Amino acid sequence: MSGKQRVAIVGVGYSTVGRNTGLSLDTLTAQASIAAMDDAGVTPRDIDGVVVHSFPHQYVSSTHTAAMLGIPDLAFYSSSVDGAAYAVAALHGIAAVASGSSDMCLTLRTVHRAGAAGGTALMGGGENAGVGGQFQFGMPYGSFTGAHFAGLYMQRHMAQYGTKEEDFGAFAVAQREYALRNPAESFFHEPLTIEEYMNSRYIAKPLHLLDCDYPVDSSSALIFTTEERARDLKQKAVFFDAWAMGTTAEADFSLVEDMTHSSPFMAARRMWSKTDLTPSDVGVAGLYDGFSFIALQWLEALGFCGEGESGPFAAAGNTRADGIIPTNTDGGACNVGRRHGANFFIEVTRQLRGTAGDRALPRKPAAGVVSNAVGGFAACALITAD
Amino acid sequence: MTETAQVRPVRPAPDSLTSFFWDGARERRLLIQKCASCGRFQHPPEPVCHHCLSFDLGAGEVSGRGTIYSFEIATQAFHPWFADKIPFVIAVVELAEQPGLKLITNIVEADLAAIEIGDEVQVTWHQLDDEFTLPVFRPVGG
Ligand SMILES: [Zn+2]
Repeated sequence: MSGKQRVAIVGVGYSTVGRNTGLSLDTLTAQASIAAMDDAGVTPRDIDGVVVHSFPHQYVSSTHTAAMLGIPDLAFYSSSVDGAAYAVAALHGIAAVASGSSDMCLTLRTVHRAGAAGGTALMGGGENAGVGGQFQFGMPYGSFTGAHFAGLYMQRHMAQYGTKEEDFGAFAVAQREYALRNPAESFFHEPLTIEEYMNSRYIAKPLHLLDCDYPVDSSSALIFTTEERARDLKQKAVFFDAWAMGTTAEADFSLVEDMTHSSPFMAARRMWSKTDLTPSDVGVAGLYDGFSFIALQWLEALGFCGEGESGPFAAAGNTRADGIIPTNTDGGACNVGRRHGANFFIEVTRQLRGTAGDRALPRKPAAGVVSNAVGGFAACALITAD
Repeated sequence: MTETAQVRPVRPAPDSLTSFFWDGARERRLLIQKCASCGRFQHPPEPVCHHCLSFDLGAGEVSGRGTIYSFEIATQAFHPWFADKIPFVIAVVELAEQPGLKLITNIVEADLAAIEIGDEVQVTWHQLDDEFTLPVFRPVGG
């Protein structure tokens, strides 16, 4: 345990989620917040911390969120736009509760489908204004979005370790198997075959369409509090055991020092140094799958397989429910849509609570690991059932 | 599509930190930010040297030789300018002058099926419009 106070997850919730909800960022944020408060059995007056992560071009304010929800006074707030998506909000919230800065902290990630991938949405200034900052060294070459670093990372792994496109595909196929047991949240309801994966069009070869998460409008919320308060609440509490962020020296995702050994390795090493648990104690994983290769890099970084071995590891079925490390048991963001990391925290919480329904694993996990991002920045956390 | 003729390329918007790079490219010289204090290159340009924290930064001309660190074949256009360019190669090239000194670029004049990581490449120039020229790379020899 890393902090002063043990930090519990006591409530989880989602907004309406869809391709084109027509709902504003604030509406989605309020919906998810209310769902998480209902799940926890708390009211806005119980909450004294709000942490939001959003894109700079889809900014959501933590203090405005609090005002919207009628929270009278915040002891802690933070609105971040940089880094590892929901996990940044989570780690701020954990730090706030662990340090005593907040007794009960609402943590959020809200995203709109439109422009979420970056690209021309980040250009601004009209079509002839040109692109400034770091983007002037990428966009004129056609490098616009996350897909354009993803293809480079995959190619490098394939060249260095002999990984095959089918290995990434095997991971996508396994995720779909889970998604079929999550019909209420998944956008996909048919099994996926490796042939369908291989026949899906390339976005940036070797990156296939089915390597990419599914862009949606969504907001996700989790509520954290101290162990003492958690014991009196509605749900069986689960607890953060260790957590860490990590970065690379080069900030540009396409220019990091080592694409096959990027920030997940730094975050994972740091996290394991703060706990007595080891990978063999972990029975469920929620590994960020903005692109499928990211989850594979996390399998290596966290030590579930050797460095460079994630391709054959996934192809052998080790991320399935009966495998070495059941991974993304809600179907992952490729199936439930882009919740930008929060769905992994929510699903691992359900597995550890024992409320995963049809997705309950054959071996009930006592600990789970969650992660977010790759390349220039990453974060991860260990969660235990008690 | 008659509007294709009106589609303009995605142009850089240089500022005081980056204009040397595009000014050099217009003269077909590959200039990379270089620290006057410790002599190290860095890219993209920054206001301060990552290595020694000096603000005394200039530009140094490099040979234009390098190797492909990684690459991909772009098959979807994310901007109308690229609609008639796909498939094309986006790559990260590591320059010969300094380990880890890399830039995002295109590989041109290449057999798309034959490109491999580690291939030696040499800078060449793609004139984007009247104002801007992009440094791009082509395979060396074979
Ligand atoms: Zn220097």
